[in-house]
Amino acid sequence: MRSLNYVQRVSLDFTGTLFPHAICLGDADNDTLNELVVGDTSGKLLVYKNDDSKPWMTRTCVGMLTCVAVGDVCNRGKNLVVAVGAEGWFHLFDLTAAAAGKCDSSSQHEFLSADDQKPFFTQHIPANTKVILISDIDGDGRCELVVGYTDRVVRAFRWEEPSEGTDLGSGQLVLLKKWLLEGQVDSLSVNPGPEGLPELMVSQPGCGYAILLCSWTQQDSSSSGEDGPATPGSEGPSRDVVLHLTTGRIHNKNVSTHLIGSISKGSKEESSKCGLFALCTLDGTLKLMDSSQQLLWSVQVDHQLFALQKLDVTGDGREEVVACAWDGQTYIIDHNRTVVRFQFDENVNAFCAGQYTCKEGKNSPCLVYVSFSHKIHIYWKVELERMESTNLLKVLEEKAEFKSHLKALGVDAEDAAAVRTLVADLLYGGSQT
Amino acid sequence: MIHEIKTSDKPKRTIPLPGCFDLSLYVFKHDRQCCLGYYIQCWQRVAQTNLNHSSVLCQVHGGSFQSWTTASASESTRLSSRLNSRFLVFFCRMLRESYPFVEDSFSRFPSQSNIYGLCQAGEQELLAATLKGKVVCFRYQELQQKTRPVAKEVQFTYIPVDAEIVSIDAFNKSPPNKGLVVGITFIKDSGDKATPFLNIYCDYEPGSEFNLDSIAQSCLNLELQFTPFQLYHAEVQFDEGGSETVFLLSGHDQRIHLYKENASLHQFEEQPVERLFPELQQLPSNVLWLDMLSIAGGRRLSAFGCQNGCVGLALVTQTGREVLQSWRVQFDSPISTVLLFPLTSHCSGEKKEATEGYNLLVTSTIEMAVVYRDVQDCGLSRSMCLPESDQWDAVLCALVIDLDFDGQKEVLLGTYGQELLCYKFQAAGSGLGSQIELQWRRSFKSPVLSVIYLDLTGDGLRELAVLTLKGLHILQHSLTVSADLVLERLLQRVSALTAVLELETDKAQDAEEKDAPAQKQEFSAQGSSD
Repeated sequence: MRSLNYVQRVSLDFTGTLFPHAICLGDADNDTLNELVVGDTSGKLLVYKNDDSKPWMTRTCVGMLTCVAVGDVCNRGKNLVVAVGAEGWFHLFDLTAAAAGKCDSSSQHEFLSADDQKPFFTQHIPANTKVILISDIDGDGRCELVVGYTDRVVRAFRWEEPSEGTDLGSGQLVLLKKWLLEGQVDSLSVNPGPEGLPELMVSQPGCGYAILLCSWTQQDSSSSGEDGPATPGSEGPSRDVVLHLTTGRIHNKNVSTHLIGSISKGSKEESSKCGLFALCTLDGTLKLMDSSQQLLWSVQVDHQLFALQKLDVTGDGREEVVACAWDGQTYIIDHNRTVVRFQFDENVNAFCAGQYTCKEGKNSPCLVYVSFSHKIHIYWKVELERMESTNLLKVLEEKAEFKSHLKALGVDAEDAAAVRTLVADLLYGGSQT
Repeated sequence: MIHEIKTSDKPKRTIPLPGCFDLSLYVFKHDRQCCLGYYIQCWQRVAQTNLNHSSVLCQVHGGSFQSWTTASASESTRLSSRLNSRFLVFFCRMLRESYPFVEDSFSRFPSQSNIYGLCQAGEQELLAATLKGKVVCFRYQELQQKTRPVAKEVQFTYIPVDAEIVSIDAFNKSPPNKGLVVGITFIKDSGDKATPFLNIYCDYEPGSEFNLDSIAQSCLNLELQFTPFQLYHAEVQFDEGGSETVFLLSGHDQRIHLYKENASLHQFEEQPVERLFPELQQLPSNVLWLDMLSIAGGRRLSAFGCQNGCVGLALVTQTGREVLQSWRVQFDSPISTVLLFPLTSHCSGEKKEATEGYNLLVTSTIEMAVVYRDVQDCGLSRSMCLPESDQWDAVLCALVIDLDFDGQKEVLLGTYGQELLCYKFQAAGSGLGSQIELQWRRSFKSPVLSVIYLDLTGDGLRELAVLTLKGLHILQHSLTVSADLVLERLLQRVSALTAVLELETDKAQDAEEKDAPAQKQEFSAQGSSD
């Protein structure tokens, strides 16, 4: 198994403690460059930018923040920062205005009034939140907010405003649906189904997953048909949950499981059909499947995997699966099951991977580790030329002109030793040491 | 340096850069800042940069060339308003600071290693010794059309469990004999008394002389009366012709011990070092590092660095075993490495033929690293320091190789401060005034103990193996960039060859095929000197 050692990193100061889902990468201030958003257990929301070790912006929320997200939750074509606390307080922040204000008074220190520090919208939703997702789950092109709870419930909300074009503050979250699951929900994700429509997937213990059906779309299509999906609350929720248990050796059917969907395949026409998703468990099983339930690969490792992300490290448009273990061991696996390992030297409190603007003023793939030593470490140079080890001759063989040049020089392309000597001579000349 | 000068906001100047690319600079407005952009013709890629003297960051990755940093608007404007040549040299150097390697693999070791812990064994294999008695063999394995890095432990026999390995070395026997010989020194500490040993592994069974697993099973165990340091090998030549490679082991008894094979008995035995290496007697202190180089005229240069800071250099005739000249110089701290290397001098403006000089690189644990030029003529009189080499703790290892394929060698230093430094000789005017400048540095996660440059993948392109306290890193040149370079040079060679062939056919129709290889040889020599 190929193993690597990334070195280029920046360390950010972070003194609090956080929940594993209270960290995300996203474009919080709508400048096309991604920021790191972190929420801690005391209710502080921190936004980090570039390689600055101090937070670029700090906001205060009510309660313990369990999950943060960046997305266009209000469907206004603008990213907002969402922070949700365990007690059920939902906070919305618009950092775009704050960023503009900060730019204008770049020289002097800003003293934001208490009013500016506040979220522009708060709402109380049911408590015991665990994980959130901002995505289009029903295929209507508009984003919904999905919240997973510690009591095995998943709720979907939609932002609704009294009329179009009114002030953002006048809208509110409206509950669309509540699903009740059998096991703990550790991750929420959206994956294109076999028909190409988005499917809401949640992870279930024991390397399982469940697809949650958005029954309101069916109601629209067959509104007055049958008696519909019955009364909400009692029988309905369980019927709209399609549970899938993946096969293979699962030692413990209660083992914590994570899931990530919509893994990019690179080419466009392919990705429109079956979506790829990956599963990982705390006992070290990793699986890549597509939405027709076909297993692409399965990998067993002896590390406790607690976070699963996707990241294109090779820059070919195909996203690799990135899984991180509590002890810092990180696996990067491509669609052909080629594994690259990286050992982060500390225990990991929380992990995420994605595009972040650290150096150079542009987004680049990054690995983000929150340690237990009051630091967040961002590895900002994790790009690889290729996943597999290879040699120069194999790279050259793919080029047509190489063979023709060899022929012109009278070197047999099949004679590896002769080609090797020629390459060495071309590169190093006569000055062999 | 400046190749072409253009005006306006379009490309300002074109600078030929070492390697295979040209650079154009231009100035443009971006937001409230004035920016300097460059355009690299080879990769057809435009990049933008804001310039600042102090913090400049450059890297090459996957064929893309980038440089970004922030600068105040006024500074950039001032810079861009007068793009003088000094600045361009700076900018050029900044671009060349690029670190040309991509890490291909990292093998973590169960215990730490030391500066004597890495050696090349055979063509494409490395042996790394770790403190707790484990020896790891690293190589690339071809399996199902895939190249895989494999780090496997080799079970060398007669290394007890409580042994701590000090040094390892390996060599191929000088022809006509063949076979791989591996030497390992270790200290067995059973509690009451620590006993040092030298184990020499060598297989005489026909067919398995190069099989590491069977070599590891045939051991000659020698008990030592001194604490061993570096285990080195050198080739000695005899009057009657023929040559033989011997082990040289330095110890804490201020002596160097020689172990030579007794062909009739099929084993190695200690022999007096004075007979074959007269320069290695009456040493001033314990030798920490030894290096030898065969040079023209049947002579040998040998250098050693001592614990008390003394560096010795001697010019010896290979066969007569006569010390022609010897030099000593005293440093203030223990010497970590001495390295002899040939260097083609650049002062060959009027003459086509470049003269080759021999140089000595000395690294010490506190002071800056020093290169002594043309030691065969000038001894230790012409020294030049490697600037900033003392900034990252002690320098532990050194290597002189051509990293960027321009035919000139660079100096690599590995430091205890977890940095790998690359220095390039700057040909400034005459050969005497030539300077050496830091080109790039790369951080590692632990101290850099040893570096070797060898072709592990068997493709003609060599890899840099870096041994750190925690394991072995294999750094590979960016294959995309290297492949482009090979194709470009191949094309040059092909066009040169076709031009010659056309000439040939014009001249004489009866040009025989037997001339063709000779012609090709000639042109390959020309092509490589470009």
